[in-house]
Amino acid sequence: MLYNCQNKRTKQFLRGLLAILRKLRSNPDKELRLLLLGLDNAGKTTILRYLANEDITQITPTQGFNIKSIHSEGFKLNIWDIGGARKIRPYWRNYFENTDVLIYVIDSADINRLEETGQELSELLIEDKLYKVPLLIYANKQDMVQSITTADIAESLGLHKIKDRDWQIQACVANKGTGRFRVGLQEYHEKVNSLTLNTRYKDVFKNISEI
Amino acid sequence: MFHYIWSLINWYLRPFIKWVLRQTTHMCELQRICYGKPSGAPRTYAVEYSLRLSRNADIISLISYLDDIANQCAITIRSERGILEEAIRTVLITKKINPAAHPDFSKIFGKCVELIWGYRQLCVECEELRQIQYDSGNPVHEDLLLRLWDLLMPYDPLDARITKQWQGIGFQGDDPKTDFRGMGLLGLENLVYFAQEYPSAATHVLTHSMHPRYGYAFAIVGINLTSMALRLLKDGSAKTHIYNSSKTLPSLRAFHQFYCYLFYEFDGFWLESKPNNIMEFSSIQKKFEINIRMALANPSTVFRINLSVDNI
Repeated sequence: MLYNCQNKRTKQFLRGLLAILRKLRSNPDKELRLLLLGLDNAGKTTILRYLANEDITQITPTQGFNIKSIHSEGFKLNIWDIGGARKIRPYWRNYFENTDVLIYVIDSADINRLEETGQELSELLIEDKLYKVPLLIYANKQDMVQSITTADIAESLGLHKIKDRDWQIQACVANKGTGRFRVGLQEYHEKVNSLTLNTRYKDVFKNISEI
Repeated sequence: MFHYIWSLINWYLRPFIKWVLRQTTHMCELQRICYGKPSGAPRTYAVEYSLRLSRNADIISLISYLDDIANQCAITIRSERGILEEAIRTVLITKKINPAAHPDFSKIFGKCVELIWGYRQLCVECEELRQIQYDSGNPVHEDLLLRLWDLLMPYDPLDARITKQWQGIGFQGDDPKTDFRGMGLLGLENLVYFAQEYPSAATHVLTHSMHPRYGYAFAIVGINLTSMALRLLKDGSAKTHIYNSSKTLPSLRAFHQFYCYLFYEFDGFWLESKPNNIMEFSSIQKKFEINIRMALANPSTVFRINLSVDNI
């Protein structure tokens, strides 16, 4: 039941993404290259797996990269998810070539590293190979208590200063929540999770379908 | 289509073949397996297959009883004997086997039951441990994490709980807590077991991970290998190894040892592959998994850590 819902919602999610793509490219190709970047633990792999309709409960830190191709409404989306650990970041540049959309994922609850993520993003924006590539920012983990709003993130990263490309910032909750819903009893835990999962996804997709 | 026809033939023909064999050998299928197949995986696989195909009501209810017990992780050292005796008695009665004439059967069959449902229980135990998120507010979790450091870096104490030093053993940032993610406590326990039980192998692997050219993130690779080990366990591929290596009821220790083998072997495989950089991890990991799966497809496979640690 839940799986079906996810299917439907994933389509919605993709439709939102495709709406951006259409808007951004007057004459879109049928095959698009999306590059997912961001600090470690931002939620890049979760978003990738979620879009591919795969299990998102057993994510491990990405050593290297993951790639998935998703077919949707006549498009073939090749999504590249590159690990965000500090040691891997120097390799990001190897994946810039021919990128159609840059998706930058931010952990909205990781306030301590907001400056670091802003620094990485601004370095990406001055790369020649990413010149004029549209930017979609996911402000992930909006369900966490300590998370900050998209407006605050846009403000602190100085997004309004970006003039050379189209950009969007989008609130989202890509994973099924960590820590907050942990309850000792396993059954109760699962119930709580499936409930919050449903209601939270509704909110997320309300946001996303508004793009 | 072929599969469908085959299962149809099997369904009608199997009882007939079994009847003929029973008349000629004066033994039931389980006895023929227990006496004929070599011990370990080949025999246990065959017993499992035979039991799962059984259409006898008593055997079916015995299987669902054992499944329930395993799912509740209720097979313990204390309860095990009673459970096995119950299973053996049911089969002796249903199959009209005279235990006095076949004294070995009970022992051999009991061993198979222990392995089959012990494995099932092990899957549940690992999954439960995986679902426990690492919690930095829990002193047990914290102690385990700090123990991992002490075991791997005994001469280099931590300056603080949150420090860059963690990156030295291959965590992504200054606080390892987020790196356990989808593998939860299982990932941490695997690493601690490796460092504790095979200190020379773990140090050897850790040193390789710091290689200037072929280095990788030790802890992160370890967590990804936990994910692989769990995948092999849950889809049943690891049965070959667990059935062949377990002398008693398979426990978490068996999973840890399986993991240690994978980590040690992966390290060798990685160096042999001479990767250009860490970005080749996923492709090399996939190749490694294919090799392991191929090895496990051979029913006589049993993995043992080869501790002849060479000098780098």
